Amino acid sequence: MVTPIELLYHIEPLAEGNDKQVFVIQFKGELDESNIDNTAKEVYKLLDESANDLPVLFDFSELGYMNSKSIGYLSDWYTRLGEKGSELLVAAAPENIMDILQTVGLDNFIRMFPSVELAKAALLAPPAA
Amino acid sequence: MIDGIPPSEEGVQLGGRIMVVIASSLYFQSGIRDFTLDMARNLTGLNDQWAHRFQTIVDEMCNNAIEHGSKPGDEIALTFHLKPGEYLEVVVEDQGTGEKKLTASELAALVEAKKHTSPVDIHSLRGRGLARIVSRWTDELEFTDRKPSGIRARARKYFRNIT
Repeated sequence: MVTPIELLYHIEPLAEGNDKQVFVIQFKGELDESNIDNTAKEVYKLLDESANDLPVLFDFSELGYMNSKSIGYLSDWYTRLGEKGSELLVAAAPENIMDILQTVGLDNFIRMFPSVELAKAALLAPPAA
Repeated sequence: MIDGIPPSEEGVQLGGRIMVVIASSLYFQSGIRDFTLDMARNLTGLNDQWAHRFQTIVDEMCNNAIEHGSKPGDEIALTFHLKPGEYLEVVVEDQGTGEKKLTASELAALVEAKKHTSPVDIHSLRGRGLARIVSRWTDELEFTDRKPSGIRARARKYFRNIT
């Protein structure tokens, strides 16, 4: 059985009345060895087709599990977007997902936020001097 | 199979051994994860963080056995050992028939080499499972060669080291 995983995505404004936008991709289900390669193809396609200056926010609020290979892909997606001049952020990861991301050190270079709203607020804030 | 798990008078602190044999297929992965999480939560007294961690440990060891140690349809044996108040251990044994098969010493060397690599210097999709997750979340991790072929991977977590 392939473990169920669903991607839901849309572009939304960072704040009401603001013309800056963010590309939100929500992951619903679990990422494991059985589904990660096919899911990754879909994510690469979405990232490659997104505008170069559009930040991408992964909403992990409905993600129940990530294996090490999916973490490898997450790192690669971050690099891919960086090469386009954009940024990948992570929001609303459950405790077990945050635990594994911190253990492998991805929080050292990917910005992670407790909620989608906090991530959007951070994207609106001026860059630190 | 459940072996040697005596019920205590209090109904808690069960110990013993559980063996599960699965075909080498990703078909069983999510079922093994569900089983492991339930077992860790309900039989061992591990808190939620460590129950999830043990679930990941078992999943990564199974992935490794499937990828490196077995051809499709071969059997992979998982044995959980629980010593109440002392440790929880999992042993994963493969047949050594995989396309990318390794010896125990080759696998141990790979894990050791990647264990201390900075996360920003890991650019491959692989290399985090055993080296950066399983080895960090367990107190003992060892690989031994099986006869006539295959690897026996054993990971143990002592409860005294859980905060």
